[in-house]
Amino acid sequence: MAMFSQNPLMNGPNYSFGDAPKIGAPEGAREHRFDPYTDNGGSTLAIAGADFAIMAGDTRLTSGYSINSRHHPKVFKIGGTTADQHDATIVLSVVGFAADGEALKERLDSICKMYRYRHGKPMNVKACAQRLSTILYQKRFFPYYAYAILGGLDEEGKGAVYSYDPVGSYEREQCRAGGAAASLIMPFLDNQVNFKNQYVPGSGEGHALQERERRPLSRNEVEILVKDAFDGAVERHIEVGDGLQMMVITSNGVEEILLPLKKD
Amino acid sequence: MVGKDCVAIACDLRLGLQALTVSNNFPKIFQYGDNVFLGLTGLATDLSTVSDLFRYKVNMYRLREERNIAPKTFANLVSSSLYEKRFGPYFVSPVVAGLDPKTSKPFICGFDSIGCIDFAADFIVSGTATDQLYGMCESLWEPNLAPEDLFETISQALMSAVDRDALSGWGAHVYIIEKDKVTKRLLKGRQD
Repeated sequence: MAMFSQNPLMNGPNYSFGDAPKIGAPEGAREHRFDPYTDNGGSTLAIAGADFAIMAGDTRLTSGYSINSRHHPKVFKIGGTTADQHDATIVLSVVGFAADGEALKERLDSICKMYRYRHGKPMNVKACAQRLSTILYQKRFFPYYAYAILGGLDEEGKGAVYSYDPVGSYEREQCRAGGAAASLIMPFLDNQVNFKNQYVPGSGEGHALQERERRPLSRNEVEILVKDAFDGAVERHIEVGDGLQMMVITSNGVEEILLPLKKD
Repeated sequence: MVGKDCVAIACDLRLGLQALTVSNNFPKIFQYGDNVFLGLTGLATDLSTVSDLFRYKVNMYRLREERNIAPKTFANLVSSSLYEKRFGPYFVSPVVAGLDPKTSKPFICGFDSIGCIDFAADFIVSGTATDQLYGMCESLWEPNLAPEDLFETISQALMSAVDRDALSGWGAHVYIIEKDKVTKRLLKGRQD
């Protein structure tokens, strides 16, 4: 059956260190390969508010058409004093190759912990964001295959979201979607968070129209937007679903919320 | 997109060769009769071939039957015409929108390039911004939208979607089709 499967993992050898002879290759010829990357699907989302930031991600872990886990978090607290991260103030989300994401999280976490030990104070998000960029760029020619988003509160207590590409190019933003369903979620965020394409009714015609004034969203509004964004993505993307993990970062710490998503 | 006793169909205006914009006024919606509309995306030369072919076929239908074609009939005509070219297809992915001439019930459907019909009760998307459009429609659309609300919904969905696709944009045409009224609006949109 496996040879008729559309699942790329079930065709050919079921492991990433391929050493099987290529079909049609001359007798005795062997191709040795090393495939160090897999795409484990899933999607992440981050929105910065006036005095909070919300980081979210679905909890499905896939490879090809298989679902390997229905509860595999991709949003992590970073830089707490202990292993349970109860006093962490920074949150990292990673999507792409789960193993690289996990490795990246461990690395950033231990760097934040070392910083606290050496300086006697926790790392702020701005510094942590710059450090994360450096970590990613250090592996410029064998990258972590992970799209990272870092969230926290800046020095003024405002919500901060930093988004990255796999080699460390980064930017601070109001909101960002990452991963498999990023292309589905991002235009929704433009429209609902930054009010793009929304104009004041009757304020003109064509390009003379006045843009709707931007207004900081409340925590409750953002939580609803996150849920709606994921409900839409789950409907149309097979790699997204099962559970929605949300981390809400406020001056009182980080609150974790788990909500169900469709499991089909 | 389907609303309450109405349907909407919209398109952007860009024509491009990969990253090179060739025209910024290239509508992709064609009308066949009072309330039957066809949207086409894909290869521009096939767009005009296919749209002209259907104008011919619909005119022949009208002469033979002495009545206008219904959206459902037109959808089947599109499907069979595309499947005729099963092994040398037109590179288009059409969508059909309209109201049934007898019952005035909304009808929409989409096709792949060889004529497999996708009947939908809510919305159909097609083109280079498909992902973005699915994300927008899935989160903005709700059942039983009135004509004005349907216009706002389809416009916001299209504009936000094409702004996140480098290959789409340059303004839009939006048609709102009601029982005895068709409203066409031109949206300006970002010109970049």
